[in-house]
Amino acid sequence: MIKKTINVQNRLGLHARPAAMIVTTASKYQAELFITKDGMRVNGKSIMGVMMLAAEMGSELLLELDGPDEENAMADIIRVIESKFGEGE
Amino acid sequence: MGTKNMEAAAKHQIISGKPIVGGIVLGLTRLVWPGDIHITEVTVPAAGVKKEVKSLDLAVEATVGELQELQKSALKKMGGPVAKIFEAQLLIASDQDFLTKVKEDIKARRRNAAFVYNEHVVKATAPLKSSHDAYIRQMSQDIEAVAERIVAHLSGNSQKLLEFAPNTVVVGKSFSPGEVLSFRQQKVIGFIVKESGPNSHMALIARALYLPVLAIDSLTPAQFRTSVDVILDSMAGKLIISPTGEELSEYQQKRKRLGPALITRIKGLKQIPPETLDGVKVTIATNLTLPGPAEDLLAEYKIPVGLYRSEFLYLSNNRFPDEETQFEHYEQVARRFANTSVVIRTFDLGYDKLTSDAVWPLEDNPALGWRGIRPMLDMKNIFKAQLRAILRASSRKNLKILLPMVSDLAEIEKTKKLIAQVKFELKKKRIPFDENIPLGIMVEIPSAVLMADLLFPKVDFVAIGTNDLTQYVLAADRKNTKVAELYSSFHPAVLKMIYEAVEAAKRNHRPVSVCGEMAGDLLALPFFIGIKIDSLSMTPARIVDLCRMVNKIDSNLLPPLVKAVMASPTAEVVIKRLESFKNALESRKKRS
Repeated sequence: MIKKTINVQNRLGLHARPAAMIVTTASKYQAELFITKDGMRVNGKSIMGVMMLAAEMGSELLLELDGPDEENAMADIIRVIESKFGEGE
Repeated sequence: MGTKNMEAAAKHQIISGKPIVGGIVLGLTRLVWPGDIHITEVTVPAAGVKKEVKSLDLAVEATVGELQELQKSALKKMGGPVAKIFEAQLLIASDQDFLTKVKEDIKARRRNAAFVYNEHVVKATAPLKSSHDAYIRQMSQDIEAVAERIVAHLSGNSQKLLEFAPNTVVVGKSFSPGEVLSFRQQKVIGFIVKESGPNSHMALIARALYLPVLAIDSLTPAQFRTSVDVILDSMAGKLIISPTGEELSEYQQKRKRLGPALITRIKGLKQIPPETLDGVKVTIATNLTLPGPAEDLLAEYKIPVGLYRSEFLYLSNNRFPDEETQFEHYEQVARRFANTSVVIRTFDLGYDKLTSDAVWPLEDNPALGWRGIRPMLDMKNIFKAQLRAILRASSRKNLKILLPMVSDLAEIEKTKKLIAQVKFELKKKRIPFDENIPLGIMVEIPSAVLMADLLFPKVDFVAIGTNDLTQYVLAADRKNTKVAELYSSFHPAVLKMIYEAVEAAKRNHRPVSVCGEMAGDLLALPFFIGIKIDSLSMTPARIVDLCRMVNKIDSNLLPPLVKAVMASPTAEVVIKRLESFKNALESRKKRS
């Protein structure tokens, strides 16, 4: 199991599109993903869960990945978040 | 009791609202308010729980099927970006984590699936609905749209297909993209909603289908329980209930100028682009702001978009749209006009195009202030996001970038640098775009005209903005009624500036167009053809009249007119000379 903290960097936060991107990316892997924000912990493969975080820009997310391919999954998800979901800002 | 049941005709009323998608329709309202589906809490016996869970699975399966169909249909009719709306809804419908929680709850509490599912949805959307952020609120609308389908399947209500009379204007709280699509298939002609953002998924689809949408904050279902005749004018932002005879004929005329009749009239043109009597082709282009009716026809006749005013995306939402939203819009326009070209002007904000957004300072001289390209170069990230969105939509090689309010070489160089950065970033990500996307500048500041030989070689094309050029040349604010008499685009000083700009464009072999109100003015047409402007970009309503006038002009007769006009001492004399030329033309027998 690996953990990492990351901030939401795109201006518009985790609205539908970025949420979908996180879920689609995480779903490629066997490892389970949990995301915690302000004490709320959700299943990262559940779009309802990720949407409910209503994470605005700057929010701190704790990512937890647990499974055989957790390293790759973490790298992939971090990359997606750091690239600001392709939104440019 | 003997009281007569009086059916009062609906009172004449004009309600103002927020234009979401522009258009004008005359029709009959039909209320479709949520809450038609009433969910009752039912206790389920232990033996029936399995069946409840199974029925939820079936409802989800049916919903996923519907959404996939809608996604396919949207992809075919409207293109990728619009179809993506359904992708999020598909993920919501098939969210296993959420469904598992619902099913466990059904088993534990022995309640019916519809009730439990709805409860979970309400809980999930509560934190989202109260957000001041429109994008986050949109998420709750997508979740509710999906939930409505699932609950409808569970209640066996999915068979109900609303039947609409022709010319129906649907009234409701808000509608999901799927509903818009299916209502349109049943010939609904417009929407009145209580809430919607112009960038909402509903608006995106309505725009793609040319359906006008008006949002009325104070809307209550009671007002529209019984159907009423209305004029929906979502261009001016108003709804007229029980219109008078005068209003009806006024709007029927307006529709003729803007809507189907415009379409008919374009079809009646001999050829586009039109030719003068002596065979000189004059390119006529269209201005686009809020996308509306008639675009398909303009595209069909290969009328290029000479000016796409991108700032409406900002003005209708009070904040800069994100790159994805912009990309969706530009891609849609690029796709619509795939067989011709589109000039996208980057955000031209400030002066009279402002909102209450705190980013705009209070200025003493807004006309001479932070507007046009100036704020964009100061807000580089926002500018880059727009440039990136435009480039991403440019793979058909039919887009051009136009910069507003350029007065200095540095502005061109800085923009080129940003474009180069964006191109590099896109290349790294292997995202296709037009390597040679043309870059142009608006010529509306006198210094740009005087320095034309320095500036024009640095760009691919130029567009003369006559509205602002006039006010800067004459030092008369076009919005100031006290000096309204001084402001005239026909002032010889302005014409001389325009002439200089065109000459410079010719010297430097750059195409030059005219945007601005003057482009659609029949009086100015002979002057523009006489000085050999390459194209005129105007509001669609003017296109047919201009084309017809072009057909009447013999360009050999123009040089003396141009000379006389440029030598005139005042705007009045200019206008008089142009008017007598025009009258002489109109009295000719039309050669067809």
